[in-house]
Amino acid sequence: MSQNNRLSQGGRIDRSRVLTFTFNGQQYPGFAGDTLASALLANGVDVVNRSFKYSRPRGIVAAGPEEPNAIVQLGATEAAQVPNVRATQQALYDGLVARSTNGWPNVQRDVMSWVGKLGGSFMPPGFYYKTFMAPASMWMTYEKFIRKGAGLGRSPAESDPDIYDHLNQHCEVLVIGAGPAGLTAALTAARAGARVILCDEQEEMGGSLLDSREALDGASAADWVEKTVAELAGMESVTLLPRTTANGYHDHNFVTLHERCTEHLADTAADAGRAGEVRSRLHRVRAERVVLASGSHERPLVYANNDVPGNMVAGAISVYLRRYGVAPGQRLVLTTNNDHAYRTALDWKEAGREVVAVVDSRANPDGDLVKQARDSGIRVITGSAVMEASGSQRVSGARVVAIDTTRFVVTGKIEELACDTIASSGGYSPVIHLASHTGKRPQWREDLLGFVPGEVKGMHFAGGVQAVYALDETLADGTRAGAEAAQAAGFEQAEAIAVPSVETRTESATSALYQVPHEKSSLRAPKQFVDLQNDVTAAGVELATREGFESIEHVKRYTALGFGTDQGKLGNINGMAIAARCLHRSIPEVGTTVFRPNYTPVSFGAIVGRHCGELFDPERYTALHQWHVENGAEFEDVGHWKRPWYFPRKVNGKTETMHDAVARECLAVRQGVGILDASTLGKIDIQGPDAREFLGRIYTNKWAKLAPGRVRYGLMCKDDGMLMDDGTTSCLGENHFLMTTTTGGAASVLEWLELWHQTEWPELQVYFNSVTDHFATMTVTGPEARKLMAEVTDIDLDREQFKFMDWKQGTVAGVPARVFRISFTGELAFEINVQANYALHVWKALFAHGEKYDLTPYGTETMHVLRAEKGLIIAGQDTDGSVTPEDLGMHWAVGYDKPFPWIGKRALTRPDTAREDRKQLVGLKPKDATVVLEEGAQIVLDREQTIPMTMMGHVTSSYYSPILESGFALAVLKGGRNRMGETVYLPMSDGTTHEAEVVNTVFFDPKWERQNV
Amino acid sequence: MSEAGSETNVSRVAVFDTHPVEPIDAESPLAWSRQRGLVDAAGGSGQVRAVERPFLGHLILRGGAITLDEAVRAELGINLPGKPLGLNLDADGSRSVQWLSPDEWLVIVPGGEEFELENRLRERLGDAHFAIVNVSGGQTLVELSGEKAREVLMKSVTYDVHSHGLPVGKAVGTVFAKTSVNLRRPSEDRFELVVRRSFADYCVRWLRDAGREYGVSVESPTS
Repeated sequence: MSQNNRLSQGGRIDRSRVLTFTFNGQQYPGFAGDTLASALLANGVDVVNRSFKYSRPRGIVAAGPEEPNAIVQLGATEAAQVPNVRATQQALYDGLVARSTNGWPNVQRDVMSWVGKLGGSFMPPGFYYKTFMAPASMWMTYEKFIRKGAGLGRSPAESDPDIYDHLNQHCEVLVIGAGPAGLTAALTAARAGARVILCDEQEEMGGSLLDSREALDGASAADWVEKTVAELAGMESVTLLPRTTANGYHDHNFVTLHERCTEHLADTAADAGRAGEVRSRLHRVRAERVVLASGSHERPLVYANNDVPGNMVAGAISVYLRRYGVAPGQRLVLTTNNDHAYRTALDWKEAGREVVAVVDSRANPDGDLVKQARDSGIRVITGSAVMEASGSQRVSGARVVAIDTTRFVVTGKIEELACDTIASSGGYSPVIHLASHTGKRPQWREDLLGFVPGEVKGMHFAGGVQAVYALDETLADGTRAGAEAAQAAGFEQAEAIAVPSVETRTESATSALYQVPHEKSSLRAPKQFVDLQNDVTAAGVELATREGFESIEHVKRYTALGFGTDQGKLGNINGMAIAARCLHRSIPEVGTTVFRPNYTPVSFGAIVGRHCGELFDPERYTALHQWHVENGAEFEDVGHWKRPWYFPRKVNGKTETMHDAVARECLAVRQGVGILDASTLGKIDIQGPDAREFLGRIYTNKWAKLAPGRVRYGLMCKDDGMLMDDGTTSCLGENHFLMTTTTGGAASVLEWLELWHQTEWPELQVYFNSVTDHFATMTVTGPEARKLMAEVTDIDLDREQFKFMDWKQGTVAGVPARVFRISFTGELAFEINVQANYALHVWKALFAHGEKYDLTPYGTETMHVLRAEKGLIIAGQDTDGSVTPEDLGMHWAVGYDKPFPWIGKRALTRPDTAREDRKQLVGLKPKDATVVLEEGAQIVLDREQTIPMTMMGHVTSSYYSPILESGFALAVLKGGRNRMGETVYLPMSDGTTHEAEVVNTVFFDPKWERQNV
Repeated sequence: MSEAGSETNVSRVAVFDTHPVEPIDAESPLAWSRQRGLVDAAGGSGQVRAVERPFLGHLILRGGAITLDEAVRAELGINLPGKPLGLNLDADGSRSVQWLSPDEWLVIVPGGEEFELENRLRERLGDAHFAIVNVSGGQTLVELSGEKAREVLMKSVTYDVHSHGLPVGKAVGTVFAKTSVNLRRPSEDRFELVVRRSFADYCVRWLRDAGREYGVSVESPTS
């Protein structure tokens, strides 16, 4: 085959550039400027897919995003696979490789077709629900079978070699659609001075003008398009985005556009010779005003066997003839209910092919186009319609009959017309999708036989989208909408643009026809397809209404009408009309489903943009990160932070295990000195005469008497009395405090403080500022810490001068520092804050002096073990939003007698928070010292109880303690404080059960002597 | 305002000069990026240049506009931006005051000036209700210039960076990729990003990626 259907001349293709492509394993030629669909039609490829449910052969039906059948899997290599590409929207390029998504092993001979033959009884609507409901456990098996049979394309198994990105755009007027209305709207708004973005999803701007028979200002429509686009391109305030689909309209005129940057050139940007460029780009547009000029989609008529290849939407045939120089057949029958479709018969005849007849459902059509058809000798059969198509792999004839649309019956004798192509037109549906994305219901207009958009704030409509179809009116409508949009954005129009002159035509009214009546009932007639992609038939919709599905939303879900890549662009209105007829209601009474973004399928790459790979999520680093990397740290993610987890050493050429490294680090702190990078802890600077009062209200404990130079541990509750965060706060001056928070709580605690200050206590004079990043924090801890510190600081470290929970200012390694004697290990500890730019210098100086003490860097894992040995909690690990300070045994940190009612006080007086059987924090000591209990393990009292066992609590923290040479855990246990010494059981998922003794939470140094030395 | 009053106030707040007396090598927030090869030699030739201005003095001022305005004018010679999103600079552009919120401003001055400035402002403000916080170690300033600087920003921030949306003298806090920055327009030909220290490396990697198609250099003087 070699482009047998290509006309010898005409079209907007470049016949000098022959492209070769492969479809289902066979090579074909095409021309630059073709779409994959036009090239397939040029080569006479009739069957492009098998249908979803009945496995019937299917051909190309449309020429745009509404195409239901020509859905292909694209890509020559595994990495370049793209599923669900509409062949009608894919520009042809040399080397393009495409396959049908349905039909296995091939579309011509389909092993699934026996299912299709039996289809009517085997897979009625609601088939999935009815057949696969039980047993539910079998669904996974059914689904595999259905997916394999139905096929919805597949994802690539290799990673995408291309890159994608996002661009944030702002403009005064965004015009969607560059057809006649969009072009005049954009020109008008731009001339008024507005920043304009004009986007259009096709390869070329111009929309319907590219295949129009009409002349503008006496020249061809395409000439006017070229001139207008050139003028727009020359304006600095205009951004033109061709090959860009407006896919989502969101609140506040936020619109997402997808631009195909290299997709029309080759499989990958590199294949197109544009390595490093993005394949497609998501434009996130925030527009003051949006002009929606998205035009309309032609509706096909619903008649028997209307899915046999060779049945096409009339307008699509004109597009293939006039834009691509392709006549997809020899002998045409056109069946229509309107005047405009007659252009297809005229185009067909002018291309030198035979028009067998135009079958018009109207009794007396007499518009200009009708006259023109009659004058050129075309046979026009009135009051009739094509009732049924003949043929299986390709149309071989049309059965035509006179019909009565009000009584929905055939009234005459059937005439058989031999033909290979049936064009049908049932009128036009405005493309209202974007106007309903924010939930706005469209309005049915019986005079226009279509849904028009409801009012959307900030959006203007131009042309076909509001059923303005005549070209002269469309051009004027665009001008009006452009001027209104610009004006609404604050730009007055200097002078009206001249609307190009167009010959006006008389048209006779369109008749309301959706489904063509058949000599048999819908249920007995050959299948009359409503939604080709989902194999929904008129009989299916009728059956759904009979089974009680009266809401169109229910009909949709029961039949699958409007699912899939085309989202009902062709079938929805016909489906609603059939449902309305069966329910004896009007279309507006039946209503419409609303559309959601996206308008067409979008590749994941374009959604992800550059937020992938190492840029998937931010990584936050402390000022000491370089040192950690250079010293072999393994890292743990804590929020966005990368924190050293542990520092494995090489021992005899082998890297330590985590267990060994953590044991070594723990013992170093208990017996020598260790150092931790604690910079990630949240730090909030609090200033103001009421700072102290504020602290007293936000923390559970007392702050009235904390003197400058002293530090106190505090608990923060939510207003429900549950612990939210904890940390130390230092009194820097009478009106000045430094609060620390958990790493994860840094931002939320600051917000919490601001919230209470701004909404409840604005009279308090206090300010909060984050200094988390400003200071780097290093914790030097262990029995040798004082000796090491003495070598690097000018601060008097005498235990009487610088006591536990004191802070001092001085220098460390020559750098001004604040040093805090606070301890999260239970050992002697100095926490050093220096300005972050000097942190690495100080850290390195500590190691230079620390060598003789074997100063050991430790990470978060060792920190966790050491604090747990002391029963010190971690908010968010040992607590979960249902734990009070009392539950933690921390009543010593609750000031019930404070004069002002602090946050959580009231909740803590509820009977529920006073229950004695609440889950309370306890220690657990496994009877077998080698056992480390699982965190999250449930605690039971009776190990013999049958499942479901009575769960008494769970393990919150559990580690192996090198100093105790035993596993140990913290847990919450109902009434735990009264169960000291009892044995509890922890059944594991593998059937074993651990035994543990309930003990005090402080496992090591119970008298707290070591931190005070 | 009396000497006694200001003394009282100063003693109630612990001011803190963070700089060492003897010079010590400091590390800017981009030090780690440099270490891992993400910082280029000075004088980049691409269409986008990102240049860190390290080690500047950054102070956050909190308080009422009227209270602060007089003190800032007297000590810095710059009017406090009264309108939201305002950015005022001194004649040579080396000192600036940026509106952050109705009671919050960011002052940026040459490195080393910040402690003395804080003290002078505290003296002048006396017993008024205000706060001054030194955040110089916690953030850094990155200048963005070049023919495609605006395009790179369009990929990174959601705010309108066209002159309509971000004219000279305007500054906004905005989303930058998956973090946030203060985005400033000090002059027609350049933008400034105030970046948090811990997110600086992420911002650099993002800028390099976003600017790759135009040619981009990231520079960071070491002093």
